[in-house]
Amino acid sequence: MNIREYISSGVLEAYVLGELSPAEREAVEKNLREHPELRQELAAIEQTQEKIFFQTAITPPPALREKILAQVQPASTANVVEGKFNYWPWAFAASVVFALVASYLAFYYRGQWIESQVALNEYIAQNQQIAENYNTVNQRLDKLQSDLSIMENTQFVKVVMTGTENAPQAQASVYWNQSSEEVFVSIQSLKQISQENQYQLWALVDGKPVDAGVFDGQFEGLLKMKNVKGAQAFAVTIEPRGGLPAPTLSTMQVIGTLPKG
Amino acid sequence: MAALKSQNTQALEYLYDHYSAALYGAISRIVQTEEMASEVLQDVFLKIWERIGSYDPAKGRLFTWMLNVARHQAIDKTRSKESRKGKKTDDIDLLVHKIDKSDFTEVSTDAIGLTEVLNKLNDDQRLVVDYLYLKGYTQSELAAEFGIPLGTVKTRLRAAMSQLRLLLDVK
Repeated sequence: MNIREYISSGVLEAYVLGELSPAEREAVEKNLREHPELRQELAAIEQTQEKIFFQTAITPPPALREKILAQVQPASTANVVEGKFNYWPWAFAASVVFALVASYLAFYYRGQWIESQVALNEYIAQNQQIAENYNTVNQRLDKLQSDLSIMENTQFVKVVMTGTENAPQAQASVYWNQSSEEVFVSIQSLKQISQENQYQLWALVDGKPVDAGVFDGQFEGLLKMKNVKGAQAFAVTIEPRGGLPAPTLSTMQVIGTLPKG
Repeated sequence: MAALKSQNTQALEYLYDHYSAALYGAISRIVQTEEMASEVLQDVFLKIWERIGSYDPAKGRLFTWMLNVARHQAIDKTRSKESRKGKKTDDIDLLVHKIDKSDFTEVSTDAIGLTEVLNKLNDDQRLVVDYLYLKGYTQSELAAEFGIPLGTVKTRLRAAMSQLRLLLDVK
């Protein structure tokens, strides 16, 4: 190949201007690799061209620089931006969501907790009431059991006292253990009396009334009275509260004698 | 170069600061308005950035490669606007007009020197340099426009470049 002719044809200038077909371009590149003179010539053409363009350079509008750099940079730093900096908005959003959810749950569960507390207090109160009722019932049952044991005890003599002329409908009973001298009274029917007065039980021992204690008109089961020895009969009168040493016979309500035998 | 190929943004700034004016000058003389020139320059830097991996230093200088990207982009732009025909009827010493054109904000002071240099070429040589380098015509377009055989266009450019090499003091 004649290098001089090749250069004179202007093919290198066309190559530099990018005006060759792909096939022509490949041929030129092959020749360039094989001939250092051609590479030298190409470099000279390029430098000449470069001088022409640098001497006819026009500075672009200053604003264009930032615009272009900003436009191009995101593409090159996109991976970094996504991998690194975009993490924070997501983290922020996540923490905000978390805070909102946590606040809501805290509020919700606080409400639930208060409701539970109220309900629990109610149950505790109910439980106390039930326990109290149970105790009351239990005490009452104990009392009735002990009363019943007295009534069933053959050591005790039941003395039924019936109404006098003052109160024909009235009735009460005395359970008396002659050996232990214990006395219990029970009311079947006695009228209401005022707060100033009380009933007083008397035992008739050898024809004389002996005080056996006072009681109010309303109670359940048996009421323990004073011990009595050697009685033949029992009676109840209405006396001033606290009772008197001797009975007021005009207020006698019931009276009964020991059963024979 | 390695930094550029790895798409280092500082390298892009370097490219812009060193080559944007030369490229913008080339683009401005091909397209009609400053606005179009700005758009093309923008596209050119995007393309340079995208295709930097395909640039092979063994096949030529970086500026040659960038200039061809810019020239193609500018020519595509004018073709898409169907506006090049009007330009072809322009006067021969358009380069001087273009350089002095007031709608482009800044003109390199070297351009005056280049005009003097180009004036030292003969008319035939000046015409090919003006149209091929400065107006962005292809060789075949120039051949068709002025009724010159393509081979003659090439040899005239060759002669012009040899002259310019001496005039511009390229070693």
